[in-house]
Amino acid sequence: MVMSKNPDDRRLELLQGTLDMLILRTLQWGPQHGHGIGQAIRTQSDDLLKVETGSLYPALHRLVKRGWLKAEWGISEANQKAKYYRLTATGKAQLLREQDRWSQLVHAIGRIMNPAPAGNE
Amino acid sequence: MGPGHDELDDEIRGHMAISIQQRIARGEDPEAARLAALREFGNVTLTREGMRSVWRPRWVDRADALGHDLRIALRSLLRAKGLAFTVAVTLALGIGANAAIFSVVRQVLLRPLVNRDEDRLIYIRQRAPGLRSENTTFSMPEIEDLRARATTVSAFGDFSTIDFTLVGFGEPRVVKAGVVGGSYFDVMGLRPALGRLLGPRDDGPKAEAAAVLTYRFWNTQLDRNPSVVGKKIRLGSRVVTVVGVLEPCVPYPADTEIIANIATSPHHLGATMVTRRTHRMTELFGRLAPGATVEAARAELTAAHQAMVKQHPEAYSADADVQLAVSLLRDEITAPARTVLLLLLAAAGVVFVIACSNVANLILARSVRRESELAVRAALGAGAGALRRTLLAESLVLCGTGAVLGVLLARPMVTLVGRFAARFSVRGLEVAVDPSLLWVGAALAMAAAVALAYVPRLPSPHAPNGLGLAAGGLRITAGTNRRLRAFAITQIALSFVLLAAAGVILSSLASLHAARTGYDLRQVLAIDVPLPLESFGPKAIAFYEEAMRRIEKLPGVERVAAGNFVPWRDAGTFGAGFQFTGDGYTPANGEENPHGRLRNVTPGFFAALGVPILAGRDFTAQDRAGGERVVIISQSVAERLYPGGEALNHRVWWTDPYFGTPTPLRVVGVVADVDDEHVVPGPAMTLYHPFEQVPLAGRLFVHASADPYALVAPVTRIIRDLSADQPVERAATLADVRALVLAPERLNAFVFSGFAGIALLIAVVGVAGVLAFSVSARTREFGVRLAIGSAPRRVLATVVQEGAAIAAIGIAAGAAAVYAIGVAASSYVTALQLPGALPALGAAAILLTAAVVASLMPAARASRVDVIQALRSE
Repeated sequence: MVMSKNPDDRRLELLQGTLDMLILRTLQWGPQHGHGIGQAIRTQSDDLLKVETGSLYPALHRLVKRGWLKAEWGISEANQKAKYYRLTATGKAQLLREQDRWSQLVHAIGRIMNPAPAGNE
Repeated sequence: MGPGHDELDDEIRGHMAISIQQRIARGEDPEAARLAALREFGNVTLTREGMRSVWRPRWVDRADALGHDLRIALRSLLRAKGLAFTVAVTLALGIGANAAIFSVVRQVLLRPLVNRDEDRLIYIRQRAPGLRSENTTFSMPEIEDLRARATTVSAFGDFSTIDFTLVGFGEPRVVKAGVVGGSYFDVMGLRPALGRLLGPRDDGPKAEAAAVLTYRFWNTQLDRNPSVVGKKIRLGSRVVTVVGVLEPCVPYPADTEIIANIATSPHHLGATMVTRRTHRMTELFGRLAPGATVEAARAELTAAHQAMVKQHPEAYSADADVQLAVSLLRDEITAPARTVLLLLLAAAGVVFVIACSNVANLILARSVRRESELAVRAALGAGAGALRRTLLAESLVLCGTGAVLGVLLARPMVTLVGRFAARFSVRGLEVAVDPSLLWVGAALAMAAAVALAYVPRLPSPHAPNGLGLAAGGLRITAGTNRRLRAFAITQIALSFVLLAAAGVILSSLASLHAARTGYDLRQVLAIDVPLPLESFGPKAIAFYEEAMRRIEKLPGVERVAAGNFVPWRDAGTFGAGFQFTGDGYTPANGEENPHGRLRNVTPGFFAALGVPILAGRDFTAQDRAGGERVVIISQSVAERLYPGGEALNHRVWWTDPYFGTPTPLRVVGVVADVDDEHVVPGPAMTLYHPFEQVPLAGRLFVHASADPYALVAPVTRIIRDLSADQPVERAATLADVRALVLAPERLNAFVFSGFAGIALLIAVVGVAGVLAFSVSARTREFGVRLAIGSAPRRVLATVVQEGAAIAAIGIAAGAAAVYAIGVAASSYVTALQLPGALPALGAAAILLTAAVVASLMPAARASRVDVIQALRSE
């Protein structure tokens, strides 16, 4: 779904289904508008991940619809009218669930890709 | 719901503004920053659409996808025109028949009457099962008794029919008129279309003679002339004022043209009518009292009726077993049509199932051929839902086309079936094409489409054979083959049910036609020449005798006679007959005096109608008024009164209170039985009076040597010469009279044979289709068999045998179904009969022949398989 077509070959494709988790995680520190969320993902991943607006905005609306986020209008730092997204209580719970699943997945894949030397765990 | 269009735009605009501002803050040129932000954002429309689709209900997306699938389906079906055409026509037949019949059923059986509060309007009937009479009607004293005792009925309305000569609207003619009391129209809850109706002030002998025209009469005969109100007309001997026109309503119990008050009819004012308990000619309606139910009214009126019967034993013979029946007027009117229409609906339902299963066959065969396509799509990740949707889209297109054709087909059928229903219930006359056709058609098409989409098996994404099939081979699995066969067998079985039903109806019709009536049907012309009740007597005798004398001289006339009863056409006019006895006859223990029919005839009547005189003599000119009272009896009467003996010269007389003091009549002749009441002839006890001694006639019978209808004009001229105002009506040969009475049966047979024919046609197409498919799937097998030396004839026989086997299993299943239906239904419908051996065997033979013929073409193809081609085909 989320495929980056940027020619910059350093850039990574976002794994399917991880965008929601990244958004939730970004909002853990407080409300943010769409542009800010996209930027945060980019800077925090050290420019390795870039989310297209065409994916980001539908995802935000989907999360609002599920009740994990709440949207309200506000004024940005640059004095612009912008929509701010805030994590709801169920959204926080969902974030924990997804984080948990993610670490399990990373662990599982890691064990396959880098088999630990015998005797070690 | 979700955010509006503007809100989404605002959000995007905000994003853009922040992005531009940040770039400017980093030192970019404003114009370059704007372009870079735009580029970075990408496709604005797509993003906005992505946001909006999140909020859209899911079905909108699905409908969108279905629309897409529909377009594809249309294109792919246009490539398979033959199949699409067959399917659409088959469905059109099924849907059209069902929509038409359902529409008629709804209008005839379910729609309320126009009468005010029609669910409170009841019809009360007196029946005498002992005399095989379902409706003996009431006499005025009986009505007074019931009126005095009823508390559950707030008001009664009475209605009786009588013939009047009507002068004042065009040619003088005899009209059937209703005569009603002052409460009738209020009880019926009817309104005037023009002027006023008859009310309490028109009741009683002292009121002014007034009449109301029925809507149909006003509409068809008088061109809706509004000036009829206030017009004075002559009804019989009275001058009557037309006070209004009745609104359109169901003409029940009788289709009259005019409804008059009691003061109009001298007969209704006479002592016989008012005081004689056995003078029954009045229909009774009632309006339920507030809070009363039909059941309560039935219970109370039945009790009142029983008390009345006990009080006047002389008026109710024990053999007659007189009973009371109370029902809602609507049920009373529709009851005769109910069974026929529901049977028709069932037949139409069966045709629909046959049509659907045939279509299922065709679609199944097609889907096997395209299994590779579906397999490829499944392999590419299409879910089961998406594949179903493709199939649903195709069947929707097919069924939609079928529904449109079907509704077009149903439009003329509604009128046809309505006319058919009108034979059984007057409500059929009101049937019109209405929108229910559309929604029934649409609902049936939807049902069929959904059912058909689930017929083909989807390729399993796990099964590896999917891509193998994609290579272009065609192989049908045992499961598919079984399903195809099951559908074909269903069609045969259901067709058998319909064919057997049609067979029953046809064979009973044939036996009706073949029944010997005892009359010379073809050469005898019957003409109604009614004299009004008030001009009976010597003048009437002179009139008929002079008319007959002149008619006899016409060329082509062999004999002429007069009587009071045209066989079958006048059935029921004199009720269930009267009791009589004879000298030396004592009824056996517990038996009553027999009931006989009363007929008045002139000398020469029996010769003119071809009824043989078995003993004694015909009436002569000497059997006149004032002379010795004589009678001719039918064979059944002679055998009942004087079994094994000589009936001649015994004396018989009517004992019924209707006749007052009994007058002994000497038996001068015995004639063969003729049943002029029933088209299915039975024994008929009839007593014939000479016309001059009981001068009630009104029917002329002319035995012609050539074409009887050529005599109608000269006979009419002769009678008009004698009396310019004399109506001369309804000239028809006895054969045509009987044909007219049999018309409902014939129509019945026609309709059911039609259904059976359609079913047979569809089933033949089904069997042929299944075999053609099975042959094309086994091309390789046949090729191999031919290659290793099997005779083409053997291959042909294999296929034909397969067809015959399908037919045989289907027929067996159908026979079992007929038997099961018969057993199940016999507890509800007593008149239902299981088909005899002949219709059942006939149906089986027709189906078997049809199946063999249907399998010949595919069989021939199988035996001509090109060996080389067949072996290379895989």
